[in-house]
Amino acid sequence: MSTTPTADMPVTEAGPAPARRRPRLPSRPRPARAGIAERRRARFAYWLIAPALAFMVLVHLIPTAAGTFLSFLDLNTFTFQRLFGAPWAGLDNYDSILFDASNPLHSGFTNAASNTAFYTAWTVGLTLLGGLAIALLLNRSFPGQRMVRTLMLTPWVVPSFVVAVLWQFMWQRDAGIVNKVLVDYTGVLGERPTWLLGENSMWAIIVPSIWRGIPFAMLIFLAGLQAIPRELHEAAAIDGAGPWQRFRHITLPLLRPLIAIQLLFGVIYSAYQFAIPYIMLGSNPGPSADLLMTLVMRQSFSNNLFGYGAAVSTLLMLAMLFWVLVWYRAFRRDLVEAAR
Amino acid sequence: MNKILIAVIAVVVIAVGVWAVASAGGDEDGSGGNENAQVRLWVMNNGPDPVADTEEIIRPFEKKTGIDVKVQLVGWDVQFDRIRNAAASGEGPDVTQAGTTQVPFFAALDGFEDVSGRVGDIGGEDAYAPGVWQTTQVSGRDGVYAVPWFTEARAIYYRKDLLKKAGVDPETAFTDWDAFRSTLQKLKDSGAVDNKDTYAFGTPGKAAFDLVHHVMPFVWDAGGAELNDDATSSTIDSPEAQEGVRFIADLLPDGLYDPTALEKDGQQVEDSFKGGRLAVWIGGPWVLATVKRQDDDVWKPEVRKNVGVAPMPEGPSGEAYTFVGGSNLMMFKSSKNKDAAWELMKFLSQDKTQTAYADLMGMFPARLDPQEQAGQKDANYGSFYEAIQDGRTYAPIPQWGQVETAYKTRFGNILDMAAGHGEEDYSPDAVAAELEEAAKEANGLLAQDAG
Repeated sequence: MSTTPTADMPVTEAGPAPARRRPRLPSRPRPARAGIAERRRARFAYWLIAPALAFMVLVHLIPTAAGTFLSFLDLNTFTFQRLFGAPWAGLDNYDSILFDASNPLHSGFTNAASNTAFYTAWTVGLTLLGGLAIALLLNRSFPGQRMVRTLMLTPWVVPSFVVAVLWQFMWQRDAGIVNKVLVDYTGVLGERPTWLLGENSMWAIIVPSIWRGIPFAMLIFLAGLQAIPRELHEAAAIDGAGPWQRFRHITLPLLRPLIAIQLLFGVIYSAYQFAIPYIMLGSNPGPSADLLMTLVMRQSFSNNLFGYGAAVSTLLMLAMLFWVLVWYRAFRRDLVEAAR
Repeated sequence: MNKILIAVIAVVVIAVGVWAVASAGGDEDGSGGNENAQVRLWVMNNGPDPVADTEEIIRPFEKKTGIDVKVQLVGWDVQFDRIRNAAASGEGPDVTQAGTTQVPFFAALDGFEDVSGRVGDIGGEDAYAPGVWQTTQVSGRDGVYAVPWFTEARAIYYRKDLLKKAGVDPETAFTDWDAFRSTLQKLKDSGAVDNKDTYAFGTPGKAAFDLVHHVMPFVWDAGGAELNDDATSSTIDSPEAQEGVRFIADLLPDGLYDPTALEKDGQQVEDSFKGGRLAVWIGGPWVLATVKRQDDDVWKPEVRKNVGVAPMPEGPSGEAYTFVGGSNLMMFKSSKNKDAAWELMKFLSQDKTQTAYADLMGMFPARLDPQEQAGQKDANYGSFYEAIQDGRTYAPIPQWGQVETAYKTRFGNILDMAAGHGEEDYSPDAVAAELEEAAKEANGLLAQDAG
């Protein structure tokens, strides 16, 4: 609204119109006082962020773009040294991965993709459930509570490499402790199953992943549980709500933002899992435990098919972007509420 | 005052951190400081103490020439990537050890020196057996890209005491496939092995980097081959190849082969033979050298005393081929001390050094005369020498490493299937299907070109 003073501007109830005011462009909202001090502070803030931003662009954005570019090239034993100068292949890599049933690279991809989906669903699901259960158990004071909480954190502190090597020994059919406990000590199973080969090998990588992920989930949920005011539970109890109803209607909704965050990061982390299957089962974990990242590693670095590996990585990235969109639609209101 | 103190401490800490990182980077570079002819050598796991053993052999050379040799260990599990990256990036050591089957691939990367002008110093082609010399060549390219260092072949290790207990005469135990199988059967039936803590035979599965070297001899001995004669297409799905693969895989459902060996990698299965779990095992000559070494405590006493070696059994084709490999030395084009590096390679090729190193490692020298002498050490070494004479290796093409990886996957699947862990039941048709997939994948890899 124009407030350019003109001679015929009426005197308003608020007082006479100010004598001199700088002309204002009608449609641009400006902050009330965009003073020099604020602009200087803003610029200083940008300077502080600049190194981190440059690092992100250098280490994340540029390599991602370069990798996607590589997926359109024909890279093999003879051409991979030329890298970006290798012959153009267009969508051939994607075609042979997704649609060419006679190509062994296709069956390798569909197998690894379904394995990764299975692995991600079970790992994230059981990690969150386990973490929540343990957090509920630890959310009350009992003697030794602090020590138990500290001990529960130890699997998280162990590096992935060590976890994979340890469990590789534990899962061995004859010498491993898992079978000793299940068959010899407790007699739960009659026969010693083989864990590192065949269909069980998928569980051989799921269990250590859950084992390693539960402490972090437990920690987050514990913090969330302790932020729920006691009065809510007490009021509900007075009104006659049983423990399960209180859990369903008070605890769970208030934990939703935390569940949302952990789902997001858990799925992405599990989809990109590499260390545990690679170290436990080798560069070729077998058809039941081959994940997308071990497939990419094998085809890119053992077979020099870098274009194929780049294409699979790009497809996985697109799948994750899709997941983020789905997640955002499902949990958007939790984020908004948490931000308030 | 406090703020100034904190600021000073922060600056000092950052400066120290930067300096520490920079100097660590400088050391790895190898060119910082000591320009006085330093040669960097990469070795793989040759024996239980590879770096110390190699340095011991090189010490007289260092003293005589004043060249400082820095030996670095690069494990077999990572050496392929490391050497390829070093060749492609131009940043690496001066000389590296490489597997004989890898030379064509590395040479095709254009990162290695053609030493054909220098090999006259060490006697050239005539000083080596033809099969060994062939591993320095690349098909389709002139020149000599590597110098043979040591040779090894796979043969059969067996427990003399367990064979005696089973009533098997070692002289005839492994002469051909029928004898091999009946030996294993007798070991099981007589109770010499109990199939709980001890098994008749064991060899690793897909977790071993050298799985193909163990299975391919059976393919060869059945009359099959990994590729056709001019290395343009894969013949791994031929009936002979199928017969060869089935011979070894059939041992699993028949209870003659330790199924837990498939869970382990090559080193773990070697250790299980040394620990007394297996009566028969396929391995290389380096294990013989550790029999005498008291610092290798994986050996159980009764196993150490009863080790026997026999050449591979004759197959239906009448041949007893085995995989002969070993390692060669390759000089990087990016080396800044090529003359010094060549002096080192010359030294390692002298008959005396060849014998001393091979002795320490338990390998065979690559050169003709010392190789023959090494075979005369004792009966077990004699068996290995015999095996080397029947030795065979793969086509010297750059894509061999990738073809081997494809075969390794399929052989591994077949062994898993035979042990009952496959997605399908084990049957000759299933084996044929896996090998057809292997041939398809290999043909795709062979069809690669420079575009």
